Amino acid sequence: MTKRRTVALAVAAALSATVAAGCGAGAGETSGEARILVTHDFGSRVIGARIQQDVPESETVMRLTERNFDVETRYGGGFVQAIDGTEGGGEGGKVDWFYWVNGILADKGADEVDVHGGDQVWWDHHDWSGSDRIGAVVGQFPEPFAHGAEGKRYPVVLQCASSAETACQAASDQLSAVGVHASRQTLGTNVETEVLRVMVGTWRELRRDQALRLIDRGPASSGVFARFDADGRSLALLDPRGRERVTATTGAGLVAAVKLGDQVPTWAITGTDEDGVEIAAQALDLQRLRDHFALAIDGGRDVSLPVLRQPGA
Amino acid sequence: MGYQRRSSPLHAARAAVGSGLCCALALVALLYDDPLVLAAAMAAGLLAGALAGVGATLRRTLLLALPFALAIALLNPLASQQGLTVIWRFGELPLLGQRDVTLEATVYGLVLALRALAVIVAFALFSAVVDPDQLLRLFRRVSFRSALTATLATRLVPVLQRDGQRIADAQRCRPGPPPSRVALVRAVTAGALDRAVDVAAALEVRGYGAVRRPPRGDWREPWSRHDRAFGLAALAIAALAVGGRIAGVAGFEVYPTLSASWDAAAIAFCLALIALPLLPFLDRRGIGESAAGGLDSLGRTRLAARSRGHVDG
Repeated sequence: MTKRRTVALAVAAALSATVAAGCGAGAGETSGEARILVTHDFGSRVIGARIQQDVPESETVMRLTERNFDVETRYGGGFVQAIDGTEGGGEGGKVDWFYWVNGILADKGADEVDVHGGDQVWWDHHDWSGSDRIGAVVGQFPEPFAHGAEGKRYPVVLQCASSAETACQAASDQLSAVGVHASRQTLGTNVETEVLRVMVGTWRELRRDQALRLIDRGPASSGVFARFDADGRSLALLDPRGRERVTATTGAGLVAAVKLGDQVPTWAITGTDEDGVEIAAQALDLQRLRDHFALAIDGGRDVSLPVLRQPGA
Repeated sequence: MGYQRRSSPLHAARAAVGSGLCCALALVALLYDDPLVLAAAMAAGLLAGALAGVGATLRRTLLLALPFALAIALLNPLASQQGLTVIWRFGELPLLGQRDVTLEATVYGLVLALRALAVIVAFALFSAVVDPDQLLRLFRRVSFRSALTATLATRLVPVLQRDGQRIADAQRCRPGPPPSRVALVRAVTAGALDRAVDVAAALEVRGYGAVRRPPRGDWREPWSRHDRAFGLAALAIAALAVGGRIAGVAGFEVYPTLSASWDAAAIAFCLALIALPLLPFLDRRGIGESAAGGLDSLGRTRLAARSRGHVDG
């Protein structure tokens, strides 16, 4: 009798657990709209952009993509091979489809990542010979600040160098303009790993940061196709294979995001000098960042990173 | 469920032709996802079996295969996360992640089950109507020893079956509690090893090791009208299947959403699939009404002709 009761209790507990985990009939309740963008070559050419109204609870990145585009999958449906006829695996097998949700590269198959109301999904087909670890991108601003990741919003902290007060204020204003409230902290303050950090300052001041120092290691580690020189006064803008295309010096700015391990992304609003940091802070704008993996500002001109063609060509 | 000689045009056809017909039906089942086509292939196999006098055998096989098909139909929607129409959510499960049951995966599970049944019916027909000795004789020029080994192995299966029944009967006659099935299996296995030693000794005595490849001509027989009719039917089915696939007849897409083209061409295709293997049964000339297990008239004619040194087409 006791054994039977134990079994009944175990079954009841299992059923309760499945119900609590979100078990139920149908696709589930809807939770607002989601956007999906499909591009080529690091966002340089848009294949399609759609808005999906009334995203159901059970929606995954794969379902959202299949609902809006013609998708070919591999390996049991978790890996995208082609979208609208553009196949991965070409040119020596180093061109493939990658996706980011709210500016953060997902580390799971597209059929395992849920889409929540307000999320933005970005698929890009590009050559990954320069870097296969582009952990975070800035082109979905105001994400990840507005909706976070996996349905969870993160607190936003603005850490500014003392020499970049004007730029810090500009960055704060730009974030406020898109409805993101960021608390201010002094540069170097320790924060928890689940806090979105926006670091503002010259590269000489920021490069000691544990996450941002990935940029000094090159695109293969950071996913940012730009590299400062040893004293941080010159900025090399790189092509998709990590080769230097342009060197920016005085007044050059950079807006980039990196992701260290399992941490949430860290954004860098930086430059070769104070002027560069200021113009980078002003570039923290929805229109200017749209569809860019990272943005450099050289001689007052926006340069999308990686550099696909010589600026001005 | 093995081969038994019966008086039917299909039994009268040579082994290569009979197996060709069954393989053509299996090919249809493997090439198409459309449930109508799969049902047509299965129906064709069942009707051909009924006309060949092995309908009861096929029905028994089908009943045995049903649990297997049911398992496929139930497992696929649980294992596959493809498809856009979610009909049940299991939520986040430990180790498995998010599990959703989609309409598409459920339908595809049923399609896979139907395909399995169609293939099983095709090969059940094959084992019921194709003389295994005649079939293995086809391969004796390729590998005489392998053909002989396979023949002996297939012959031993029904012998062991009969052994098992006899031993089980004997066990039941003994007083005391009934012995376990393990004891029965042990006795049958020991008997099989004894028989294997006897067969090996017999082969040695008969000079099995000294045998040479048989000459090409002595087993060639001219094609009978049943051979030609069923051969043409098999070729027509195979050509129809491949041609229809290339032409896109009876297109059925499951993922990401269900879509079927059940037009007049698809219906005609299914009807042709059912009719083609049945047409040769219309010609029953030369097929006697002999009892099951005996030689039909064609078999007898062939036997007599072989003794005379020739066979009439």
